[in-house]
Amino acid sequence: MLKIKRNSRALAILAILLIAVAIAPSAQSYPFGVSGVQNDGCTCHGQSPSEEVVPSLEGLPDELEFGATYTLNITFTGGPSGTDPGATALGGFHLWVSAGSLAPVDDKVKANPDGSVTHNGIDNEDSGQGNDQTLWQVEWTAPSEGGAKFILHTNSVNGDGTSGGDMYGRLTMDVGPQPTEQASGLTVLATAILLMVMITLGCVLWVFYRQSPDAFAWENFWPWFSDFITSTDHKKVGSLYMVNGLFFLGVGGLFAMIFRIQLSSPGNDFLTQDEYNQFFTMHGTTMIFLAAMPMIAGFANWIVPLQLGASDLALPRLNALAFWLNPAAAILIFSGIFSGQGADTGWTGYAPYIVSHTAHSGATLWVAGQILLVASSTISGINFMTTFCTMRAPGMGWMNMPLFSWSMLIATLMLFISIPAFGIGLIQVLLDRTIGTVFYEVAAGGDPLLWSHLFWYFGHPEVYVVVLPAFGVISEVLSTSARRTIFGYKSMVFALAGIGIIGFIVYGHHMFTSGMSPLLRFVTMLTTMLVAVPTGIKIFNWLQTMHGGSLVYRTHTLWALGFLVTFTLGGISGMYFPAIAMDLHLHETYFVVAHFHYVFVGGIVFGLYSGIYYWFPKATGRMMNEKLGILHFMTGFISYNLIFWPMHRLGIQGMPRRQHTYFITTDEYFALPPETADWNMMITIAAFMFFASNFILVYNMISSGLRGRKAPSDPWGGWSMEWMVTSPPPTPSHDPSNLPNMKFAEVHDDGDPGLFGRLIEWMMIPEDGGGEEE
Amino acid sequence: MSYGGHDDDHHDHQHSHWGPHDWTHGHGGAPHNSWAPIMMAFGASFFLLGFTKVFTQTWDDNADLWTYAIHSSEVGILIAGLAIFFAGITVFWRQDWSHDGSYEAKSEGTPFRTIDIRKVALWMFLMSEMMVFSSLFSTYLRYRTGFDNCEALFESGLFVEGQSCWLPASYFIAEGGYHQENAHAALGFMPDTLIPGAINTFALIISSYTIVLALKTAKDASLSDAERNSKVGKYLLTTLGLATLFLIFKMVEWFIGFEIGHGEDALFHSPSLLADGFTIHASEYTYCHEWDHHGGADHAGACAAGSSAIFDIRMAASTFYVTTGTHGVHVFGGMVALFYMVIKAFRGGYTPENAVSIEYFGLYWHFVDLVWVLVFPAFYLY
Repeated sequence: MLKIKRNSRALAILAILLIAVAIAPSAQSYPFGVSGVQNDGCTCHGQSPSEEVVPSLEGLPDELEFGATYTLNITFTGGPSGTDPGATALGGFHLWVSAGSLAPVDDKVKANPDGSVTHNGIDNEDSGQGNDQTLWQVEWTAPSEGGAKFILHTNSVNGDGTSGGDMYGRLTMDVGPQPTEQASGLTVLATAILLMVMITLGCVLWVFYRQSPDAFAWENFWPWFSDFITSTDHKKVGSLYMVNGLFFLGVGGLFAMIFRIQLSSPGNDFLTQDEYNQFFTMHGTTMIFLAAMPMIAGFANWIVPLQLGASDLALPRLNALAFWLNPAAAILIFSGIFSGQGADTGWTGYAPYIVSHTAHSGATLWVAGQILLVASSTISGINFMTTFCTMRAPGMGWMNMPLFSWSMLIATLMLFISIPAFGIGLIQVLLDRTIGTVFYEVAAGGDPLLWSHLFWYFGHPEVYVVVLPAFGVISEVLSTSARRTIFGYKSMVFALAGIGIIGFIVYGHHMFTSGMSPLLRFVTMLTTMLVAVPTGIKIFNWLQTMHGGSLVYRTHTLWALGFLVTFTLGGISGMYFPAIAMDLHLHETYFVVAHFHYVFVGGIVFGLYSGIYYWFPKATGRMMNEKLGILHFMTGFISYNLIFWPMHRLGIQGMPRRQHTYFITTDEYFALPPETADWNMMITIAAFMFFASNFILVYNMISSGLRGRKAPSDPWGGWSMEWMVTSPPPTPSHDPSNLPNMKFAEVHDDGDPGLFGRLIEWMMIPEDGGGEEE
Repeated sequence: MSYGGHDDDHHDHQHSHWGPHDWTHGHGGAPHNSWAPIMMAFGASFFLLGFTKVFTQTWDDNADLWTYAIHSSEVGILIAGLAIFFAGITVFWRQDWSHDGSYEAKSEGTPFRTIDIRKVALWMFLMSEMMVFSSLFSTYLRYRTGFDNCEALFESGLFVEGQSCWLPASYFIAEGGYHQENAHAALGFMPDTLIPGAINTFALIISSYTIVLALKTAKDASLSDAERNSKVGKYLLTTLGLATLFLIFKMVEWFIGFEIGHGEDALFHSPSLLADGFTIHASEYTYCHEWDHHGGADHAGACAAGSSAIFDIRMAASTFYVTTGTHGVHVFGGMVALFYMVIKAFRGGYTPENAVSIEYFGLYWHFVDLVWVLVFPAFYLY
């Protein structure tokens, strides 16, 4: 026992270290002015700093004495100042300091509310106007510890009363000990990713050790490990997929955390524009292609053959190949990040930017990696389609397939019909970027819209590809938890198929602002609105399933209920976009970000979490810790909504997405109100909470997987075929010479309402009148 | 057969992860462990990494142009990637080597009941392949219909020098490019430059026939084993030969060109597209609308006065090379598979009980032929 504790402690310390590494640099970043005053100068005359105007700041000591007061002389030379003999004004200045306090010496200088000082424009008889000077004096009281950073702007004015021809100069000075250089966002990220790789490998070792602590020996490790990585068994490949998916969910989260630090306050400079572009590109790519897709494939691998009553998938070795293409592609996709030249094209990789010389060199390997992922999806698509068509247990007709299998069938069909278009587009881009073909080279007549069409022909079905399996999970979980069959099974299947068909004819709504044909815009507007019909059918069927059943509140049920709320909200906000006029307004704002995160996280990730809690006992033979599960749901659900709900508001206020910062100024174009900064700070804090809450899941999976209560073969009273085999399932999953028979759907064995359910039961007035004795 | 349900059990019978697989043991016949997937995946990854290192373009700020380079010294990763990939395929094949058809997995569910699972999978694969070529044809249609034809543009007179327009490959191959205009029509009824493409078309169609003959022979139980092995092997070898011929003529047509005789006396003269100047970098192609057969410095004649213009024909070239190139890669993939099948056939791997592998390869091969039948008119004739 002692050893186990020590190991858990080491793991916790590593996790804390990881978070610390990610957060530490932000603690050292410089303070900044809200309106970016130290970058843009005072309300300076002239558009940009001029080299002709040379400001100088004298009176600072070489050795700073803490707490002492210094008199500083501010002067400047050059520019139009003084060239006109009858000038009414000579110049002005603005001095900002990061620490200590500034005070005017005489009334030629005034103090600003933010602690900076500037010239006094008011006419004073004895000292003259503050802006009729080229020399000012201020007093600076040094801080009691640490150094300071000065930013001085001086205006050189021509004195004719207008600002034409005026120019300004900028000077920065450091005095005393300076804070250490902050690490660049990329360095933080690279360190964190490498740490995560090491932690993951450490976890693998630990899991191996825990399997048989007494027989632990290095000689046994390689056979165990190589058996895993060469396995073609659908369960082991599924586990590999899940590890891969969860790992990249963490990496994608890291990207988000780092750029949330950047966005937490206006005008922040934690990330440069260039870094920010790479971060949001890699965040999108990682989350969709390296986290969501592998996790879905993981579920499909684990569950589909078990549900269909098959012994394995149809093509086991190709299944393993489809998995191994994922990490192989990830290496290519991430290589740019480690060279500091990661892809900065957005996850859509829009042409012509992606083939232009300004795009980062990492975009080439990003494209190459995506090609491998396309190959992976194609291979697994073939595999799953074949499995669905050929390996259903005897007697299982199409309309007897469980809904998770149905959702995977539709998703797979959509995926592998649509993804070749993306693959061909990628190959064209790769060749454009390497050997010099001109598919998207505008100078040679290349059409950027062609890329958009090829991409979104795949890209829109893709979002259904990732959300349909979540629908499937929710259907399974809700019907099991409500202890009844799913309401309207056939309509559920037809709704899935309807989404599958409509999903192919709506992609134009991603291109409303791209200048495509107005007629096509109108058509896609109508078809997109049509998607709400089958989706609505599903939502109402789930509601009716719960209404007609008797719900128990297990952890997976909680996530499914959370899914219903957030996915419906995401669906409703999605209905704003097909309306062309509304879309033109909301395009490229945080409203879009809020919408697709409500669908992606609130829909897909919640659905997958629900699936993890639901099928974990089946996969490992161990029950998960329900208390930790409820804690995970509570923290996750609340912090998740705190992140994305305010984004709707930010979007309507006009905060643009894909931009590395924002300003709350009175500027006419980007007039974001001051509370925008507060909302963003809250979002960032909530984002860190959400990020942290997911470690509860990881901890729960590892600890429950090793030490959890032994699971029976059907812990939840589910009735599809995966519950008929032992937990964990044997290999092959179903005996091919003795394939299973179907069970009556009405039979539900489990009546335990769960920890949370007992709480609710305790709060409810029982239907029999409170159980009081007559 | 035991289905103990524990991997510990399984290990006792575990055969090498490198192959060959013991098909009499196991579950549904499929190998349970294999190094092939991980090798093939990372091999492909290294290959792509090497590809981007070998073929690079850099932006020249002064000229405002891309400059292209082939860094042959960087070819190491590319070759290593290919080597790992093909080593993976070899492992895959070693495991398949012992497959003799007695463990063919059959479909359980409707509508494919009793049909081989592999056959369904192959049709699924062809479905996605259709989407691959549909995407390429979409690109072709978009640009072909969206561009002005160079000849029509010249005739209209409404062009600017250096304008991008569409000069189809068929202009060089079938309609009268620079060399062809002045070459002998050796066969009389088609331009010399169309000959490689024409030979290729027939080579592929004949190879579709030979693969069917291989299948028919392999299923023929009336033959003795030795006779059947020899005949099946030879038919497969012929198919492989025809595929090789196809790729050789492709290279001739793209890069090499050939002539019989020389200069003025050439009986047959079919220059390569490269020599014609039809390349993906042809941003300043000198287009000639009318040839002067009488004057001119060399035997090929020169452009008539006032009938030349500079055009950017890169898009037509990109579309042509990438579409036909993708088809060529599919032919190459078929050759790799044929290589394995030829060896297996001569060693007696295909029997009436185990002939379906040839059939399933044949499905793919017919598909590749069919694509060529669409590619050929779209790119070579029109």
